[in-house]
Amino acid sequence: MWQRYVSRWFWIIVLFTIFVAPLVLMVLRSISFRWGWPDVYPMMFSWRAWEIIFRDPEIIWSMILTVLIAGAVVMLNFLLAVPAAYGVSRYRFKGKPLVEAILMMPILIPVLAIAMGMHLTMIRIGLTDSATGVILIHLMPTLPYAVRVMKAGFDRLSPDWEEQCTTLGVNRWRLFWTMLVPQIIPSIRSMAVLVFVISLSQYVLTLIIGGAKVMTLPMIYYPYFSSGDQAVVAGFSVLFALLPIVFLVVFEGVIRLYMFTIQRP
Amino acid sequence: MSIGNEKLSSNGMPSWLKGLGFLAPALVVIAFFVGFGLFQAAQGSVSREEGDAFWVNYQALLAHESFLRSVGISVWVAFSSTFISLVIGIWMTRRLIRVFRFDHWKFVAWLPMIIPHFVAGYLIYIIFAPSGWLSAVFYHIGWIDVMNQFPILVNDPLYIGVILTYVWKEIPFVLLMMLPVYQEMDLRYEDVSRTLGGNSFTVFRTVEFPWVFPVSLETFLILFVFVLGAFEVPALLGVTFPKMLPILAYEWFYQSAWVNRPMAQAMMVLISLFAILTAFFVLRFTARWKSQWASRRGESL
Repeated sequence: MWQRYVSRWFWIIVLFTIFVAPLVLMVLRSISFRWGWPDVYPMMFSWRAWEIIFRDPEIIWSMILTVLIAGAVVMLNFLLAVPAAYGVSRYRFKGKPLVEAILMMPILIPVLAIAMGMHLTMIRIGLTDSATGVILIHLMPTLPYAVRVMKAGFDRLSPDWEEQCTTLGVNRWRLFWTMLVPQIIPSIRSMAVLVFVISLSQYVLTLIIGGAKVMTLPMIYYPYFSSGDQAVVAGFSVLFALLPIVFLVVFEGVIRLYMFTIQRP
Repeated sequence: MSIGNEKLSSNGMPSWLKGLGFLAPALVVIAFFVGFGLFQAAQGSVSREEGDAFWVNYQALLAHESFLRSVGISVWVAFSSTFISLVIGIWMTRRLIRVFRFDHWKFVAWLPMIIPHFVAGYLIYIIFAPSGWLSAVFYHIGWIDVMNQFPILVNDPLYIGVILTYVWKEIPFVLLMMLPVYQEMDLRYEDVSRTLGGNSFTVFRTVEFPWVFPVSLETFLILFVFVLGAFEVPALLGVTFPKMLPILAYEWFYQSAWVNRPMAQAMMVLISLFAILTAFFVLRFTARWKSQWASRRGESL
C-alpha cells in the first residue's frame, strides 16, 4: 500500500515539475523587478510590465482584434464541423473514406504550402490585408481537429435518442438545439478551446494573409521577443496563456445561460 | 457506426445524399483551400520559360546546398522530437493509468495544450538559455562560474531548444491519443502475463503493444509532418544556418529575390507529396493491423 502512495506522490511531483513549474517561472518573471542572472528567484516584485502592457493602446487594440478573430474562427468551426462530424458519425455512403481523407488533409499538408499557394488568388479577390481573409485561412489548421473532436462526441451518443424524439414528433431543428447540443456540450467545449488556442497561436498565416495590416498579438510578440524588455515579454507570454482561460470562463457562462433558456417551460 | 440511419432518413432522400449534405460545407471549404492552394503552388513551381524543361526548378532545388542542409536538420528535429515525445508519452500513460484510479491528473498534463507553441518556445528559452534559470542554478551549485560556460541549448545549430519545445508540447498530445487506447484495453491480460512469469516489458510487448502500436504510428505521422511544416518555433529558437524547411521556404518566397520563389513553391509541393504518400501507406497499414488483431481476438469490427 505505501508503495502505491509513494509512486502516487512521485508522479504528482513529476507532473508538476514538467508541466506547471515552467508556467510559474514565467508568471514570476512577469511580476519581478530586475531579476537578472544568476539569481535563482526574484528579489523584488513590481507590476511595471503589466502596466506597460495595459497602458499601450496598440496592445489593447491588438488583444481585442485577436480575441474577435479567434471568436469568429470558433463560430465558423461550430457551423462547419458540427454538421460534418454528424454526417461522418451517422451516415455510411460510398466514397466516405475519401471524404474523411480530404477533411484531414490540412493536418498532413503544411498550412504554409496552402497559404503560399493561395496568396495570389486571395490578393486578386481582395481577401488579403483583412481580418476576413485571416479568419478564413485560420480555418485550415483548426477545422480538421474540430471535426475529429465533434465526431468522437457523436460516436459516443446513441442514435436511439434521435429516433425517440422523431417518433415523438419533434422537428429536426428543435431536436438539434434541445437534445443534441446539450448532450454534446463536453465535445463542443473541447472543440471551442482547442480552436481558440490554435487560432491564437498562428503567426506565419496571419503574417502572410494579413500582410502586417492585421495586427494580432503574435505580430507584436515576435519582434518584441528578441529586442524587448524581458519582463514585458514574460507578461506577454502569460497573456497568451490567460486568454484561453478567460475564453473558457466566458464560454461556460454562455452555456449556463443557454441551458437555463432551453430548460424554461 | 450507422445503426438505425435507415429509419432516420425517412423523408425520401437517400442516406448517402443526406450524409454528404451534412458534410458539404466543411468539405467545400477544405477542398477549395487545399486543392486550389496546392494547385497554385504546383503551378508556381514549374517553369514556364521557353526552352526550359518544366521540372527545372525541382532540379535546381535538389542540387541546392542550403535546401539539402535544411532537409537534414528538419528531419532530425522532426524525428527526434516525435520519437522522444512518443516514448515518454506512452511510458507516462501506462504508469499513470495504473497509479491513479481517477484521471484528475490529466488536467495538469493537458495544461501545455492551451499554451501556444511560441510561448512554449519562450518557456524553454527562459529555462535553458545561457542567461536562463538552469544556468543560474548551476552557478549556485558551483558547476559554472560565468554565463558563457553553460552549454548553448537554444538558438543552437543542433536545434536542441526546438526539440525540447516540441517534446514539451507534444507529450500531452500523445497522452490524449493513448489514454482512450489504454482505457478500452482489457488489462486482465496483464494478470495472465504476470502469472505466467512475465515482467513489465513482457506485459508491454504481449498485452499492450497490439493496441498501442497502430495508434503510435498514427500519432507519429501527425506529429512528424506537423514539425516538418511548422514555422513558429524555429522562427524563435532556430539559427540562420542551417534553417528548417518552412523558414527557408518563407525566406525564399517573401524576403529574397523573386527568382527563388518557384523553388520555395517546389519545396512546399515536395513536402506535401511526401506527407500525403506517407499518410496513405501508414493509414493503410494500421487499418489492416487493427482488423487483423480484432479478428484474432474474436471481435467483429
